[in-house]
Amino acid sequence: MPSDDDKVVRPFPFFRAGAQSSGVSRPILVFEDVYKYFRRDRPTLRGVNLTIERGEFAFVTGPSGAGKSTLLQLVYRKHTVDGGRILFCGRDIARLKERSIPFLRRNLGIVFQDFKIVKHWTVFENVAVALEILSMPKRLVRSRVAEALERVGLAGRGEDRTEALSGGEQQRVAVARAIVTEPALILADEPTGNLDPHLAIDILTLFEEINATGTTVLFATHDHSLISKRDHRIIGIDDGRVVEARTGLRSWADAVGPEGGRGTSGSSGLHVVAG
Amino acid sequence: MDLKTLVARAKRGLREELRLYLVAVSSLSVAFLCVGGALLAVSNLDQMAARWGQSGRISVYLRDSVAAADVRQLRTVLEGLPEVAQVEELSSEDARALFLEQADVSADLGRLPVEVFPASLEVSLRAGTPVQRIDAIGERLARLRAVEDVETYRGWFGRLDALIGAGRTVAGLLTLLVGLCVLAVIGNTIRLAVARRREEIEVMKLCGATDGFVRGPFVLEGMFQGFASALVAVVVLFFAYLALRGHVDSSIASLTGMRTVFLRPWALVSLVVGGAIVGALGSALSLRRYLAV
Repeated sequence: MPSDDDKVVRPFPFFRAGAQSSGVSRPILVFEDVYKYFRRDRPTLRGVNLTIERGEFAFVTGPSGAGKSTLLQLVYRKHTVDGGRILFCGRDIARLKERSIPFLRRNLGIVFQDFKIVKHWTVFENVAVALEILSMPKRLVRSRVAEALERVGLAGRGEDRTEALSGGEQQRVAVARAIVTEPALILADEPTGNLDPHLAIDILTLFEEINATGTTVLFATHDHSLISKRDHRIIGIDDGRVVEARTGLRSWADAVGPEGGRGTSGSSGLHVVAG
Repeated sequence: MDLKTLVARAKRGLREELRLYLVAVSSLSVAFLCVGGALLAVSNLDQMAARWGQSGRISVYLRDSVAAADVRQLRTVLEGLPEVAQVEELSSEDARALFLEQADVSADLGRLPVEVFPASLEVSLRAGTPVQRIDAIGERLARLRAVEDVETYRGWFGRLDALIGAGRTVAGLLTLLVGLCVLAVIGNTIRLAVARRREEIEVMKLCGATDGFVRGPFVLEGMFQGFASALVAVVVLFFAYLALRGHVDSSIASLTGMRTVFLRPWALVSLVVGGAIVGALGSALSLRRYLAV
């Protein structure tokens, strides 16, 4: 007899966190010579080549306007690439038809700087919406939402109005919504941008806990004080090009300085990966 | 998305935007009232035409000098026709008395001499007698020696048909116009609701909701608006009809020989179902540009 979980509409089951499609582990996300233009004369992203392995935690950083958000938006198909391709679990995102985009997004968890939660809904409703979209049975929705809220430290707060929560709590609701479907990849676009430093560390720790369960996390931020506290891979973006430091982030952060070091890659000891 | 979730989300939307929807429903009810009123007028004209068309009449006016035996013979011939239901003989005196009774005119006309009113045979035809057959009977009767003139009332029926045709056209145009108004009002209402709930739509789209999932509750809300508006219009129209019927029915009955009727059940159902369909359509159309997230 099928379980409730079997009834859930999830077109790409191999996308789930920790799942392996075959014996060979392949990267969860690959950017191949990706270009994106919003102005014809000046590409926002130019020849980006990047590989994110399954289960990885990576910071995406760079100054404002460098293309961090655009990089993430291309993954959840808010925009389409103008050149190159992006492979998510081996599938070319740019070639997905419009009607397939919702199914791609069901396999992603997206967290934003402005939270993007519905203020007049309850905490439960805000988290449950991601499961209702999957046509999940109500009983399962209740248990999964309760579990997600517990993971983000909001156990028992389901009936609270979201507008009554603090900024940090609202972002936790957004994180709970992102993880409740157990996505393979979480895209966090400046999730700590609206929070004070203490709350920012809390949220970062929360993402690290999620990552520890096998979920890949791409965490975009321009806050170097946050990056310098952790030893994760850093993908620097500067003027549309990827500038990568795989280890030794403290020295990288020191080298690029507090402004993110636009155009300083040569002197920082980092290598320009593409462009 | 299952139906239960769809209805639950639509109910939540209606609850959250209750005031906006109440304003829209009241505006739409007025529009549907116009359509209902036009349908009511046309259906009564239709009823009148059908009734008169079915109860065909011929008035055979007799010459002054006609002999009583000729009249009896003519009556016998007429009563032998299968289309004839009844033949009534009306003398000059009877015709004058009937005119003075029905005409409601001043006493001066009472001095009119009896000779002014020719004697006649009033022929009632059976229901469903074809127009061509009535014309043929009239032509044959006109050729008889005893007959001065024959009135088949075809010209009058022609004018009535033209009037009903014009009424139908006006009602059709009015329905089209109101349909467009309803689409616009529902579209704008939903657009306002959507603008207020843009955040909600964006969240759902980012979580992987299909356009159908997002659109479903809004379409249901639009459908409900159209349905409720049409229903309110029908109820108001019915009570207005009941209130006015007492005042106008006797006048209409004396003029046309029939009583007014309310809309037939199929027309009521069409109005309400049509309202729901137009509501759903207006909602679906207005949502398109908000779904691009």
